[in-house]
Amino acid sequence: MRVLALLAFALLTNSAFSQDTIKIGVITDRVGVSKPYSEPATEGVIFAADEINRRGGLLGRKIELLIEDDQSRPDISAALARKLIDQGVVFILSVSLSPATQQQQTVTMEAKVPQMTPMNSADYLTTQLDNPWFWQTGPLGSVQGATLLAHARSKNLKRVALITDNSDLGQAIAKAFRGAFEKSGIQLVADEVVARGATTAMPQMQKIRAADPEAMFLAGVLTAENVLIFRAYKELGVRFPIHSSYNLSVPIYETVAKGLVDGITFVDAYDPDKPEVKAFVAAYKKGTGKDPQNLHGYGYDGIMLVADAIRRAGSLDKEKIREAMQKTNYAGVMGAKGMRYHFPEGKRAGFDPNGMVVRVYEKDRQGRVVYVGQK
Amino acid sequence: LQDFIELAVSATASGCVYGLIALAYLLMIRPTGIINFAVGEWAMLGAFGGYVALTQYELPYPVGMALILAFMLLVGWVTERVAVRPLVERGAALLAPILALLGVLVITREAISVSFPPDPLPVPFPVEIQNYKYFVIAVTVAVFAGFWLFFEKTLWGKCFEAVALNRRAAALMGINLARVTALSFAGGAAVAGLGGLLVAPNVSAHYLMGVPLAIQGFTALVIGGVGRVEGALLGGLLLAFAEQLTIRYAPIPGGFAQGVPLVFLMLFLVVRPTGLLAARA
Repeated sequence: MRVLALLAFALLTNSAFSQDTIKIGVITDRVGVSKPYSEPATEGVIFAADEINRRGGLLGRKIELLIEDDQSRPDISAALARKLIDQGVVFILSVSLSPATQQQQTVTMEAKVPQMTPMNSADYLTTQLDNPWFWQTGPLGSVQGATLLAHARSKNLKRVALITDNSDLGQAIAKAFRGAFEKSGIQLVADEVVARGATTAMPQMQKIRAADPEAMFLAGVLTAENVLIFRAYKELGVRFPIHSSYNLSVPIYETVAKGLVDGITFVDAYDPDKPEVKAFVAAYKKGTGKDPQNLHGYGYDGIMLVADAIRRAGSLDKEKIREAMQKTNYAGVMGAKGMRYHFPEGKRAGFDPNGMVVRVYEKDRQGRVVYVGQK
Repeated sequence: LQDFIELAVSATASGCVYGLIALAYLLMIRPTGIINFAVGEWAMLGAFGGYVALTQYELPYPVGMALILAFMLLVGWVTERVAVRPLVERGAALLAPILALLGVLVITREAISVSFPPDPLPVPFPVEIQNYKYFVIAVTVAVFAGFWLFFEKTLWGKCFEAVALNRRAAALMGINLARVTALSFAGGAAVAGLGGLLVAPNVSAHYLMGVPLAIQGFTALVIGGVGRVEGALLGGLLLAFAEQLTIRYAPIPGGFAQGVPLVFLMLFLVVRPTGLLAARA
């Protein structure tokens, strides 16, 4: 129903304003695996576009969003990128899954249309294809791991345990952690896996308890299995601290793991004490009546970065927008205090490697920042 | 030793859930010969029932549980009416209803996935979290005792056994085959739903939870044998102990421990394909 309504809206607005609006395409995921991340990010995009339009728009025109749903499927995604370009968008914002974003690049590269993802974390997005029309401003997977380990090093850890699940991403993150432990001379005393669909994580946690680590690293990304791990941790009454991948920055844990997450630290790209964040939260609450999550910030920053580039380009000429985008120097909602997005030395990944933070759960809420960057 | 006792309790509770799913298979296989892989999705329905009744409407646990069981009986009964009976009445081969039930599996999962948010949904514990394992064990033991008494001591139970032993002879003796089949599906759905409801506070309700449960229950069924009710529970317990003891004590890397129960299952199929407990003649 909602998709239909949006479609009708898109069609209507298309005919009414097509002369005076700046069209920006958004490719999101409304039903697939990435939906829990893509939906809040898209809400952030819509809110930001409204804010820009309320303040007089861009180059004297209003922004018009054309939103498409690719279900996180790369095959559909490329076709949607083509459709948006045919409808005359000057920029495409990609907020579904990394592989889908990658597939869209084959179209934007050929059509020479600027494209950006404000939240995808896959390192390969700007390295596999030499596509001068594409940028990535979400924190890279490698930066997330490095930040968590820098925090661990600051604690002077010698013996740690690792636990993950048997999903592709969980295995990949665990592998990155293992490599980093080895490099830093940290001994891995237990290395456990909880399978998708398990009904308990008791044996794994017992084994970790027996190995007596100074801390446990969590690399799993499956919510239900992670909750099993926290439950076994609580039931066994163990005390070693848990350090988690960015997966715990997804706010779902505040409700589904009630009473289990207090004190767990996790990597995030969001500092609730940052002035830009406070302003964003207040404005979002006033505009929509709802509290935004960190995920909304990715979408918000995405459209603000695009608007900033178009403003500096001073026209809708795509080559001028491309040049302006490459020269970005912008402070947004995401990132540690004082972080600015920019693309150094012709690179197209714009999140500062020292811009991530480590936060801690306070009771059931995602709380304050306890560590910044990876130094 | 304390470790071992903790683990034994945890494995028993997991084994009880596997046993309930195995029992759901068994209730339908015995009288009809139909393997219904949709039991995993039925367990998922039970878990989502727990979310709706206990988390959204905050009903008292016994009321919520009764409503969910009643709903599951209805689901099983309707499934038999819609997906199984028309095929059987037209004399289709045994494979036809099994395939139709796989269709039911897909429809159930997709219906849930579009009706609920994609994240796992919380289902509350009826008792203190530390005591929940004992609660699961107690409920399961009561269910198995009930079914055992039903099959051993009641006339209706004897009817089921008679149909299981020889459909044609049972029909000739005046047993209503259609009613036995309908009841076996209703009972199977209720037991699977109960399994899902019991496991839900631990694993949360989410739309992908059905398939792993269907596989674990099926493995338990193969180990225990399709012949007797106790076999399902025994199979479930053996599977859970094999899983959890391997992960805890076997000196192999974490990732490989998952495969051990499957090796165990293969050995079983080779050495004793009828399962541990054979049916009584």
